[in-house]
Amino acid sequence: MSKKDNRRTFLSKTAIATLAALVGSKVVFAENFPDELEPVGLQPDQVNDKLPGKSDQLKILNSKPWSAETPPHLLDDEVTPAHLMFVRNNGIPPEEIDVHKWTLTIDGESVVKPMTFGIKELMDNFEHYSKHLTIECGGNGRAEFNPPAKGNQWGLGGVACTKWTGVRLRDVLNKVGMKGDAVYIGYYGADTHLSGDPDKVVISRGVPIKKALEDETLIAWAMNNEAIPVMNGYPLRLVCGGWPASTSGKWLTRISVRNKEHDGAKMEGQSYRVPKFPVPPGTKVPDDQMKIIESMPVKSIITYPKTGAVIPKGGSFEVRGHAWAGDLKVKKMEISIDFGVNWRSCELKEPINRLAWQSWKIDVKLPEFGYYEIWARATDEKGVAQPMVLPGWNPKGYLNNASHRIAVRQG
Amino acid sequence: MEELPKKELVLKQAKLAINFGAGVLAFASIWVFQFTIFPDFFKPEPAIVEFVPDTTGPVFETYFELDSADIENGIHVPTGLIVDDGCQDVMVTCGACHSLDLVTQNRATRDGWKEIIVWMQETQKLWDLGEKEVVILDYLAKNYAPENTGRRKNIENIEWYNL
Repeated sequence: MSKKDNRRTFLSKTAIATLAALVGSKVVFAENFPDELEPVGLQPDQVNDKLPGKSDQLKILNSKPWSAETPPHLLDDEVTPAHLMFVRNNGIPPEEIDVHKWTLTIDGESVVKPMTFGIKELMDNFEHYSKHLTIECGGNGRAEFNPPAKGNQWGLGGVACTKWTGVRLRDVLNKVGMKGDAVYIGYYGADTHLSGDPDKVVISRGVPIKKALEDETLIAWAMNNEAIPVMNGYPLRLVCGGWPASTSGKWLTRISVRNKEHDGAKMEGQSYRVPKFPVPPGTKVPDDQMKIIESMPVKSIITYPKTGAVIPKGGSFEVRGHAWAGDLKVKKMEISIDFGVNWRSCELKEPINRLAWQSWKIDVKLPEFGYYEIWARATDEKGVAQPMVLPGWNPKGYLNNASHRIAVRQG
Repeated sequence: MEELPKKELVLKQAKLAINFGAGVLAFASIWVFQFTIFPDFFKPEPAIVEFVPDTTGPVFETYFELDSADIENGIHVPTGLIVDDGCQDVMVTCGACHSLDLVTQNRATRDGWKEIIVWMQETQKLWDLGEKEVVILDYLAKNYAPENTGRRKNIENIEWYNL
């Protein structure tokens, strides 16, 4: 461990890491195994003593288990840098990780015969794919709900879009062989429960088989051409873009193909569920009236300028950010500088690939001296737009996609 | 006639010595076997017991004083908790499993906090809080009560800067 640390420190202290990042082709492939599968190190200015591999600019919501979000103005890159990707842990991450011995088992009622793969076997036996995928915590935006919902009080920054490299879950499942009655998959990871009980599963969620078999659903060993950061699931992670991040199992050790809706930890009760029908704020909703969250809703963030900008008289400035819509594409991006009275369309880029967020920008000039708010509103390909106020209240505070607002002033 | 018993005596002594030697060797090898190779060999198999959390309640039964140097403007700085009756109980009870950030960032009514406790007892292995429950609920309901923020709050705490 210390040997690796030393090597990493050495790398980050020299320009090699920076050079490699510039050259940019350091994708982790089987021929490099396992040298390139070391946990991502840190640039000296990004060291966060508390949260390994993460910027000290992240806002820590919880230290046990770790949860930290990214201030929106630090999400300006089209590809979120690893040290700026949010962290949401449910338990204690595994400590001693040996990539040589790490295995992934595919089992469950609906496989023909369970199989176990090492990471190198996955690399050697299946086609590799890289996809830019938006991952957003289901509870992103929870802080605004009224009455408040319990849990980590996420603001806007429980979201990231990074490049994931690995194999398609579909290819692996086809190799193992599925029975005709497969309806769901459920993952298991190597993290441990906060109570210290070694047998208690921390979190084991999943997706319907249709989502599992999509082109973009990956079993990934690399993020942004490097090993996955420890806090984001090193060395192996299931990635289901566009769905609550809790469906993308970290420290992945097992995937069960189920002949029924997966019933793992945090699949049931009220976890990652919303009422089947709209309810007044504060309603107690019985478990059987709750449904599992699937695709995340349409949403956008303003990543530039940072809120609080004072603009010189007559000056114009660029406003930009990203927009995403779960399984769908964003077709329109607008902003308002007059509290929603008038809306202007922004230039909206195509996603790098399906399920990646889309960057947008627009030049803005404030008409006169005063206080303004810039509101951002995305509309998905089905015509569904973000609300200006809080969307439907739900007991656990999920899916807040209310318009992002920043404050600006003309001096 | 005397030589034979003498021979036998010698033989007997030799046998005795050999047996003794063998005994020592056997004992020594068992000793080595047990203490160096398999130190737990003769210990009984540990019974497989289901994990049982500490049900005796808070780790510190006795009341302890907060260090006044840690308190600023009514906040216990190391934990972020508001200093009030029950603060120490929250510290040792809630802090036993998770960060106290999870307390300070949440707001709920007394019923709401009670529900959170019940949820943790049903799903997260929280123990029966006994008489401490009232103390903890009093503290949380008073200090971490919800405020009505309406359907959307004003943008607050803006740090102005020149772009």
